[in-house]
Amino acid sequence: MRRILTSKWFIIVSVVVLLLAFILLGLVPGSPIKYLYKPFGAILSPIQSVVKDTGNAFSDFWSAVTDGMAIRRENEELRAQIADLQYQLTQNEEAGIRYEELRDAFQIKDTFSNYDVYGASIVSREADEWFSVIRISSGVNDGIEVIPGQSLAVVDSSMNLIGRVIETSSSESKILPLLHEGFVVSAKINEVNGVIVTVSGDASLKFQGLCLVSGFSSDDVIEVGTEIVTSGNGGLFPQGIPIGVIESVDYSNPLNVTATLRPYSQIGDLKDVFIMIPQADAIPPADEDVASSETTATAGE
Amino acid sequence: MNLSVEKKILIRKIIVYVIFTLLFSCFQVSFPNRLTLFGQVADLMLVYVILVGYFFGFADGAVVGIIVGFIRDYFAGPSFTDSQGNVTASIGIGMLMMFIAASISSSFFTKRMNRNAAFAFVCVIFCTICYKVTGHLIMAAVMQFFSRTSYNLSFYQIVVNSILPTLLLNVIIAGPMILVLRFIGPYSKGVNPSLSKNFLSGGDDLWLRT
Repeated sequence: MRRILTSKWFIIVSVVVLLLAFILLGLVPGSPIKYLYKPFGAILSPIQSVVKDTGNAFSDFWSAVTDGMAIRRENEELRAQIADLQYQLTQNEEAGIRYEELRDAFQIKDTFSNYDVYGASIVSREADEWFSVIRISSGVNDGIEVIPGQSLAVVDSSMNLIGRVIETSSSESKILPLLHEGFVVSAKINEVNGVIVTVSGDASLKFQGLCLVSGFSSDDVIEVGTEIVTSGNGGLFPQGIPIGVIESVDYSNPLNVTATLRPYSQIGDLKDVFIMIPQADAIPPADEDVASSETTATAGE
Repeated sequence: MNLSVEKKILIRKIIVYVIFTLLFSCFQVSFPNRLTLFGQVADLMLVYVILVGYFFGFADGAVVGIIVGFIRDYFAGPSFTDSQGNVTASIGIGMLMMFIAASISSSFFTKRMNRNAAFAFVCVIFCTICYKVTGHLIMAAVMQFFSRTSYNLSFYQIVVNSILPTLLLNVIIAGPMILVLRFIGPYSKGVNPSLSKNFLSGGDDLWLRT
């Protein structure tokens, strides 16, 4: 008996069975197993943050040494740009005042006026092509909470879509990036009465940093360079968040015309992101039929 | 060997493993962009676990593998979307993969090749291929049965876009990592003394033999 218990085959099989049970239990909604990670997170996150900051400090120092000449040139160009932008700013201030007056007069609604935007830093990134969830530094304590049936859009500083929040803890949240196979969002061509399509992550296109666009009819004329934005269908994501531009179109199957989309934002280049949280009075009344069909149709959104 | 020397060896082992495990894991999830080729990332965590298993045996490899896998799950655990569109971030898969990688590497011709450094590259190549193939099979199964969608990667894409770039990157980072584990690793002279004892008694290296 003792020989069996100390046999390495027995140890391997036992550990594998235990880990498989652990994985299955972890998939159950509300599983207590997820809480096991909390105390370790309090240790791991600060350590990871130190490693990240140290790496960034080295990188910044190296950049300061190597990029001196380039920075000087860039500085001169930026001075010229600042002068130009100062002039534009004055013009835009006047236009802004006009817009405010017109908005009040015509009761125009701002696209994202019903959303609060919270900033967060990217804490950790994907480890490989499958371990691809990204952690950010804001959580429930910062007012970010994922309610079942609701989805929080994550955007960059230019309001381009980069992913969605899938899970939150007290001080951190997990983001599903736009390129992930599991990401799906209802979108439309950015024009009046633009065609409604579905943008989704795709295993084969992910390598090239592209997404799949489907849902076109054979009559639709799609041009390369066309901008795609969120459609707002279902009320889960706000309408009009820019996603990217069409890179190529595949008409080979008239019954299933698809296109590839190059997202505006590549999450690998970002350090900070913004989460769009609907204000309490902005959440539309639940329409059971619409909500359930959209969750299925748009899956990720 | 007196007790104080044994204690010193144990303390050194624990400290070095803790430092390396945290350093490699945190570096992996903090700066993946520095280690990329054709959209693939060099897998510091996987290579580290493979090399620990290969050089220092099953016990060390298994423990380090489970801890590294735990950290991998915590920072960047994989997520799955079901047919209803609900996304679940899973936990435990990293631990399982890393434990199996350590188990394989700790018995990968370790007796025949006497755990020599040059053959460690072959071990890294073999284990990386196993990891990638298993990963693609799991993803295909999950997407087929869990998400109800098809995994549309062709064999050519899997080989050229996924396996080969990772293989190349992992072999490149294995070089410095072998030197680190050999010369400033958990054991002086890069040799686990308990393995030497087991070796003489036909122990650790023979564990997968029937």
